[in-house]
Amino acid sequence: MLELKEVQAFYGTIQALKGVTLEVNAGEIVCLIGANGAGKSTTLMAISSVVPVGGGTIAYDGRDITRLATDRVVALGITQVPEGRMIFPDLTVLENLRMGAYLRRDRAALKADEAHALDLFPILKERRKQLGGTLSGGEQQMLAIARALMARPRLLLLDEPSLGLAPIVVEHIFEVITRINTEGTTLLLVEQNAQMALQVAHRGYVLETGRVVISGTAADLLADPRVQEAYLGMDMA
Amino acid sequence: MLEQQLINGLTLGLIYALIAVGYTMVYGVIQLINFAHGEIYMLGAFFCVTLITAAGLPFYVAMLMAVVCCAMCGILLDIIAYRPLRRAPRLAALITAIGMSIFLQNLALIIWGSRSKPFPRTALPGYLTEQALTVGSVGLSWLQLFIFAVAIGMMLLLYLVIQKTRIGTAMRALAQNRTAAALMGINVNRVISFTFALGSAMGAVAGILVAIYYNTLYPTMGYTAGVKAFAAAVLGGIGSVPGAMAGGVVLGVAEALGAGYVSSLYRDGVAYAVMIAVIVLRPSGILGRAVTDKA
Ligand SMILES: Nc1ncnc2c1ncn2[C@@H]1O[C@H](COP(=O)(O)OP(=O)(O)OP(=O)(O)O)[C@@H](O)[C@H]1O
Ligand SMILES: [Mg+2]
Repeated sequence: MLELKEVQAFYGTIQALKGVTLEVNAGEIVCLIGANGAGKSTTLMAISSVVPVGGGTIAYDGRDITRLATDRVVALGITQVPEGRMIFPDLTVLENLRMGAYLRRDRAALKADEAHALDLFPILKERRKQLGGTLSGGEQQMLAIARALMARPRLLLLDEPSLGLAPIVVEHIFEVITRINTEGTTLLLVEQNAQMALQVAHRGYVLETGRVVISGTAADLLADPRVQEAYLGMDMA
Repeated sequence: MLEQQLINGLTLGLIYALIAVGYTMVYGVIQLINFAHGEIYMLGAFFCVTLITAAGLPFYVAMLMAVVCCAMCGILLDIIAYRPLRRAPRLAALITAIGMSIFLQNLALIIWGSRSKPFPRTALPGYLTEQALTVGSVGLSWLQLFIFAVAIGMMLLLYLVIQKTRIGTAMRALAQNRTAAALMGINVNRVISFTFALGSAMGAVAGILVAIYYNTLYPTMGYTAGVKAFAAAVLGGIGSVPGAMAGGVVLGVAEALGAGYVSSLYRDGVAYAVMIAVIVLRPSGILGRAVTDKA
């Protein structure tokens, strides 16, 4: 479904991606793990065309989308929940949700999706008239996911959805992730919480300073001593 | 005396407000002070007069067409001058804006000459030149009422567009977080163009109203009006649309009172004094939120 080949990206003269190759198949949850600064967020931003691709190609359903504008990428069904949530602070919760559906014209189905999104996160229903900026961090994360779902994505890119959340909320978020996937959405998941991520994912990639260094099924990665030591916090001594 | 000054100040203030929203909206979406905005205002007046005198169009038609032309000029201004600099340092765009202001002013000088022209009053509907009512020594002309109605109507319309329409919501979203807006599928450049069109249309209306009110237009008229409207936008809190509206009215009234009670020599000084006072005392303006400098 999605195929990155030797993708490079630069911030000025700093090369953040040095050739990332990975693929995501329809129906999968693929997770991307790696240390801080490894280039995980940059990879997602390159897919969404927010960060320009400086080399290599990105294909979606066999079509080259490397140089497509961000809004066109979204129109193809690739939606992102960015790192740091990026909620619109001065729009209400409901308005934020509706921004997620910006490109959709099927008004009738929107209402149902709105209800569905609010059912996934009941707390948002209580807060729907509140400004986005007044929500707590966890609530903002839920809103960011709900907002992205409003686009009815075929491929959802999630950047650290569990960051800074209480364990019970993290669990809920991962439940939702699994649920979205069984409902038919493909997911590319960036996570610091490698343990959790590898439990829900089918496959995974490990990124190190702008390159993929390990890849395999989730079970393989969980069993890989390099992964255990560096990302699962296990002491191998 | 006081009442008359207030009426005159309000008339002027509404015009400043019309121009100021253009500065503030553009600042909201691309953090640029569009110094050429005053020239769009000037072009509005010249387009309208030219369409009346050279093309023989009736006033309302000429006014509408001039406004549409200015909206397109605003879009072109952005595409030609500012869009290539979107990723450049902010100072580059700012200097370009000043350059475009000078360029447009000189273009107008070449086309229409430096001499100021009267507004073709005969083309105006007759009632506009009559006095509407006089109470004691206080007079209110139909022209002033017309300015009130047009300015307030435009601002209500603007409010509805920003709050209620899809593209208006996209504008607000873009002003709050550009990356997030793009990730929602918003075509950022199109929304920016729309913002320029909207602001330029408002500015053009102001230019036409001023040309009628003072019965004069000249290529450099955009400069003072631009500075004052900019002061109004700063006063209201740059980036805030209601702020720009309030700032314009406050400034217009302050100016009229200053001119009436102190000396008419100080009229223009009031705007500068207000701007300096705001920057010193409350840089975020009356209605703006405290922002950290993103430069
Ligand atoms: N806007 C930017 N300007 C300059 N350098 C940047 C910018 N954004 C990221 N970088 C650099 O690019 C590299 C990759 O950053 P990226 O955000 O993709 O890492 P990450 O894997 O998502 O890390 P984290 O786990 O901390 O979120 C880092 O070295 C970072 O310093
Ligand atoms: Mg990151």
